[in-house]
Amino acid sequence: MDKELEHSFVEQLEQHQNIVHKVCRLYTNNQEAHNDLFQEITIQLWKAFPKFRGDSKFSTWMYRVGLNTAITLYRKSKRRINTSEIETVQFKLKAEPYDDTEEQQLKLLYQAVHQLNDIEKALVFLYLEDKDYREISETLGISEVNARVKMNRVKTKLKTILNP
Amino acid sequence: MDELELLKKDWKKEDANFPKVSYNEIYKMILKKSSSIVKWIFVISLLEFVFWTLIAFTFKDSKGMKDFNELDTNYIMIPLTIIGYAVLAYFFYLFFKNYRTISATDNAKVLMENILKTRRTVKNYVAFNLIFLVIGSVAGLYIQFDQNPQIVSMAHKAAADGNLFVFYARIILITSVFLVGAIAILLFFYWLIYGILLKRLNRNYKELKKLEV
Repeated sequence: MDKELEHSFVEQLEQHQNIVHKVCRLYTNNQEAHNDLFQEITIQLWKAFPKFRGDSKFSTWMYRVGLNTAITLYRKSKRRINTSEIETVQFKLKAEPYDDTEEQQLKLLYQAVHQLNDIEKALVFLYLEDKDYREISETLGISEVNARVKMNRVKTKLKTILNP
Repeated sequence: MDELELLKKDWKKEDANFPKVSYNEIYKMILKKSSSIVKWIFVISLLEFVFWTLIAFTFKDSKGMKDFNELDTNYIMIPLTIIGYAVLAYFFYLFFKNYRTISATDNAKVLMENILKTRRTVKNYVAFNLIFLVIGSVAGLYIQFDQNPQIVSMAHKAAADGNLFVFYARIILITSVFLVGAIAILLFFYWLIYGILLKRLNRNYKELKKLEV
């Protein structure tokens, strides 16, 4: 029975692993930290798997556990952006005023998103994953109205970071 | 174009850039131990329970306590001991009950609340022990003043010299300084351990709470 459970879990996770990678992409800033968070999310998913009843999709359930791990459960400080990196980002923003090329813009955007706090990152993540406000509010435990308000604030904050 | 829309467009393409973790690698990961804060809180909490139980036993067998027990102390010590163990059992039960409700599948806010609740249980237990320590010290002091032949004779001598107030004040002051010092050291360690452990959780919880106002 246990072997069956293990097999079913590993197979599904292997198939949907990009969700975990994407959480790591937003919450970490180097490969080592990425791998470390990936592993912790995998462990938390596995621990929670016996309670997964299949009444929601495996992938939907993964969003919740993945974000919970990144925001609340995970405990390694090295993954956080240190101040020197933030300084470099700000320096770059000042030195290179808004570049029109898309690639440059994207690079700055990713850097800006990394400067958001954990909750704001979660909103951005769910937004990027095309989740509606109902699902965002259910995942974070806030009301739909507040999710909307906060999302608008995040957009404004990103604009401010990008155009200081 | 909206910044996030631009990001979203690129985000969908990201899939191809991630390293592919194989079936076997995932399998190996699920055999590893978690290093989540819940595990740390669990371990530290158990250590706190052990710490206070050990303190009780160490004091019980110390020479000072043996001398103390030769005095007539049962009327105070027996109720205090019973209360101490009953409260330990109660907090232990609460702690496990709260711990079991922590689930990574809850929404972020409920998860944080459940972790904080578990932590609060242990905090209350520690607060209880500190209060218990103060009550125990006051009771101990009272018995010593009342029954310890050495102290009683010293008190008589001090009374004869007209220094009774200074004599009592000195003993009470020394005991108080010792107690305050011990409590301060303990509180400092809790502040340090939980401060580090729960810094991010508290920050994120506040951020979520702020959204509700």
